[in-house]
Amino acid sequence: MFAYVVKRLISGVLVVALVSMAIFLLFWYGPSSPAQTVCDRETSNRCGDRIEIYERTLGYDNPVYEEYGKFVQGVFVGRTITVASNEYECTAPCLGLSFVTKQPVKEALVDRIPATFSVAIGGAFLYLLFGIPIGVAAARRRGTLADKALVSSFLFISSIPYYLFALLTWLYLTITFEIPFFSNTGYFSPITEGPWAWFSGLFLAWVALGIFGCTQYTRFTRGAMVEALSEDYIRTAKSKGLPTRTIVYKHGLRAALVPVVTIFGIDFGTLLAGTIFTERIFEIQGIGWWSLQAVQNRDLPVVMATALFSAVVLIISNLLVDIVYSVLDPRVRLS
Amino acid sequence: MSADTAGPETLGSLSNEPAPQDPNSEQAKEIAGKSPLRIALGRLARDKVAVVCALVVLFFIICAVFAGTISNLFGVSLDTPLASERVDGLNNNLPKPEMGPPNGPFTWDHPMGVAPRTGQDNMAYWLYGCRVSLTIATTAAIIASIVGVVVGLLSGFLGGKVDKVLSFFIDMFLTIPFLLAALTLAPILNERFNTADNYATIQKFSLVVVLSVFGWMGTARLIRGEVLSLREREFVQAARVMGMPTSRILFKELLPNLAAPIIISVSLMLPAFVALEAGLAFLGIGVTDGVSWGQMILDAATPVYFRDYPQYLWQPMIGVVALVLSLNLLGDAIRDALDPKTRR
Repeated sequence: MFAYVVKRLISGVLVVALVSMAIFLLFWYGPSSPAQTVCDRETSNRCGDRIEIYERTLGYDNPVYEEYGKFVQGVFVGRTITVASNEYECTAPCLGLSFVTKQPVKEALVDRIPATFSVAIGGAFLYLLFGIPIGVAAARRRGTLADKALVSSFLFISSIPYYLFALLTWLYLTITFEIPFFSNTGYFSPITEGPWAWFSGLFLAWVALGIFGCTQYTRFTRGAMVEALSEDYIRTAKSKGLPTRTIVYKHGLRAALVPVVTIFGIDFGTLLAGTIFTERIFEIQGIGWWSLQAVQNRDLPVVMATALFSAVVLIISNLLVDIVYSVLDPRVRLS
Repeated sequence: MSADTAGPETLGSLSNEPAPQDPNSEQAKEIAGKSPLRIALGRLARDKVAVVCALVVLFFIICAVFAGTISNLFGVSLDTPLASERVDGLNNNLPKPEMGPPNGPFTWDHPMGVAPRTGQDNMAYWLYGCRVSLTIATTAAIIASIVGVVVGLLSGFLGGKVDKVLSFFIDMFLTIPFLLAALTLAPILNERFNTADNYATIQKFSLVVVLSVFGWMGTARLIRGEVLSLREREFVQAARVMGMPTSRILFKELLPNLAAPIIISVSLMLPAFVALEAGLAFLGIGVTDGVSWGQMILDAATPVYFRDYPQYLWQPMIGVVALVLSLNLLGDAIRDALDPKTRR
């Protein structure tokens, strides 16, 4: 077990290193003139020849490996970033300097994380809260009219694009009907503005995310439950005369949950990495909203930092899923 | 040993094999004349949901192909009018009463009304938006399927190291969330090309590239699995023994047997791409020149317009939802028709 975890950790660190290199290269070679935005902004769109100064001070004259080295150094010990004639201090872990605010990206990122995490945790909780019981109920009534109606209506919901579902929810509940509880969506800090503001601001986003996402979990749970309930040990449990509830929940659901937990881990990681549509529609100022804003402002260092952040979150969550899965199902470790 | 060859002692009627048929009989002709594809089409034609969905999809295809003709027929165009002629600046820039809803009665000049603020005709934009949506989705689906089929064929058939490397790429691309990747690539592409003259074309082109780069993995996986089981079959071994070159085995022997999974994967890819195209335009990182359903939704989803002019939002919204929904249901029906085992 220990050896397996160490092996997975080492490969995880390697993947992070490779992905950071790939993203750095993408932002180095991708734009035809990476310093153009900051130059335009600082010279009120009269950049002209001064672009050369910006390119030199930002290091775009140097070879790419040297600059990547500086970037890595900044992440671990911090660095000083020079933009034209100004110098900016950037403490570790330094992810660069926003072209718009001239603040280190890390500080803004840390400010945005609670919002995205709140959305992700609430949404993921509702995935499971709705998804698993409905899936179990459908599996137990398999083949009945109720089961068929549920499966086809969920197929219908999941066929609608998520952003339209969320957009309609928001437009109708807050603008057309003006329900006071929903009227003020967004992220409010539970500490400074109180847990109630936090809860009511995010509630609608959670519900939209939860209802839409749970359809998938209902389908998984139903499939896994149908399979588990037809196993021999369930028949044995029945013949021993165990109560139905024990059979379904203790023996059936426990076996059925293993694949569901795996998928949930990956989904949760994706949510943590950025819930772009949800944040955009419900005006929650988290990482997804921020990176979208940065894309519109052509603020490349911010986009790069959010991409890196998302990649690292995804890699960590995949790693955790692998480790949890190897605990749940020891066969994985051996192969 | 079948009943025919076993001699008179055996009880022929107890044999498991079907009774030999006269190949010229009426019944035999009916069975022999149907290819698997025709059987599937027959199943599809009996599926009422599939027929309705196919008609809806056909309607959208007609709208997309004849967008210009239909616009001319109704006398509407994409031209940018003088906004003050059509919208009322004193009333939140909503259309004037003579332009139709929301403040006036229906008018044939603008069957779907005009947009607030700009006064552009909704119908023309809707029709051309349909064209943009379907063109991008179809092109991307074709490219993604070609890439997926080739990768799946190679990795399934060649096995060994090739399979390992290609499977690694499939898994790697599968872990990248599409939206985050698109959001990261959008500003880079923008920085590179936004000074070009044909920016709008480049934008659509790169959208197709991004969609296909992140859309081929499902097909590749599916095809790889099919090839793994097909390559052990007798006809492939026979072809190998006869010394057929690998490329011919792949494309002449295996590919025709993969028609069903390819059709299924294309039909499930299309609705996803239509939804993504509109979604990216809604976020402002897809098509940004205005002729796109996603852009219309973005424009209409402001509180002021939605409160007084909800049709403006509903028109593109219904377009996206109806197209995506019917493509999805049609895809499911096609899958059930081609492969009855997966029927729910």
